[in-house]
Amino acid sequence: MRRLPDRLLRPIARRLHLGLGLTPSQVSWGALWASLAAAVIISLGHVGIGLGVMAFGQVVDGLDGAMAREFGLSSAEGHRLDTIFDRVSETAIFAAFAAAGLVPISSAVLAIVAVLLLTSVCDRSGLDPGVKRFALYFGRWIPYPTLFALIFGVNLAAYVIGLLIIDCQFQLKMDTLGGDLDTVASRAVALEVAEKQASRSAAERPALG
Amino acid sequence: MTIFTHVLATAAGVQAMGLRGREAVLAFVFGVAVDIDHAVKAPFYLRAVGLHDKRGYYWRSSLQEPVALLWITPLCFYLGTVVPAVFFSIHLLMDYAVSYEKMPFYPYSPYVTQGWLLGVPDKVKELTLVGLLIAVNLLLWFRR
Repeated sequence: MRRLPDRLLRPIARRLHLGLGLTPSQVSWGALWASLAAAVIISLGHVGIGLGVMAFGQVVDGLDGAMAREFGLSSAEGHRLDTIFDRVSETAIFAAFAAAGLVPISSAVLAIVAVLLLTSVCDRSGLDPGVKRFALYFGRWIPYPTLFALIFGVNLAAYVIGLLIIDCQFQLKMDTLGGDLDTVASRAVALEVAEKQASRSAAERPALG
Repeated sequence: MTIFTHVLATAAGVQAMGLRGREAVLAFVFGVAVDIDHAVKAPFYLRAVGLHDKRGYYWRSSLQEPVALLWITPLCFYLGTVVPAVFFSIHLLMDYAVSYEKMPFYPYSPYVTQGWLLGVPDKVKELTLVGLLIAVNLLLWFRR
């Protein structure tokens, strides 16, 4: 079943790809530039306009994935690029809030650290509550320092839970492996490393062939 | 190490640093209660082993490995206190003196270690530490 955002963005994604010949990675670059422009506008104190530009950037950011899925252009490289651009965008926007004096710089740094920690495990844990720059749209009703504390707390908690999920996945591997309990961790981890190497070389094989 | 030894070490630390209120609670949370991850592993134990006692089962998780300092350090900055990092580090140092396998940096690294002081039997280490910590606690209590 196709995801709802994909269904909504499909006509625009088709027009951008078939009509203008844009690729998903070019759209990702467009989203990044929009977010950086939003950061500059926010840092100058125009929060409302900045958030509007940020919203435009987020819609464009959704288009690259929709386009990639629609035309079978999804790749690990594209996913990595999208993730890097998302984190660069958030870093710039959080820094802009600090530069505009809306939050202390320590709050912005802690929020981005928590987001980066969560990013480092969310592909493996499958847990991402999605409380990042999106939370900033609620600044009209909730003070920005509270929102930044929320972003920090939610992402840090999700990181800790994510680590536990990965531990549970690893525990299942150890339990399946069985045998000498004094060496089960080292044997399971060696197996995991071998599996990773095998899947990496399997992924590289068609490219070489 | 057993929970009793962790309680003794944390109590000694709390007395030595003169912690009260929120800071004392944080000391016990990060010095003792991090062992709560054993409860997360309990269903796996029951599934794999059942209700019998099987020594050497892998009860640890990254909640009480050095990798946890990645989230405890920002938390310390947020709370404005070093107490979580200090008492968590004490917990780690004690656990790493027991010679079962540990994965300090999992899931970022596959490195596995048995810890330190491997030449000394685990029971000797634990009993020596318990004796020492009881003495330190009593000394700090009577010096107050």
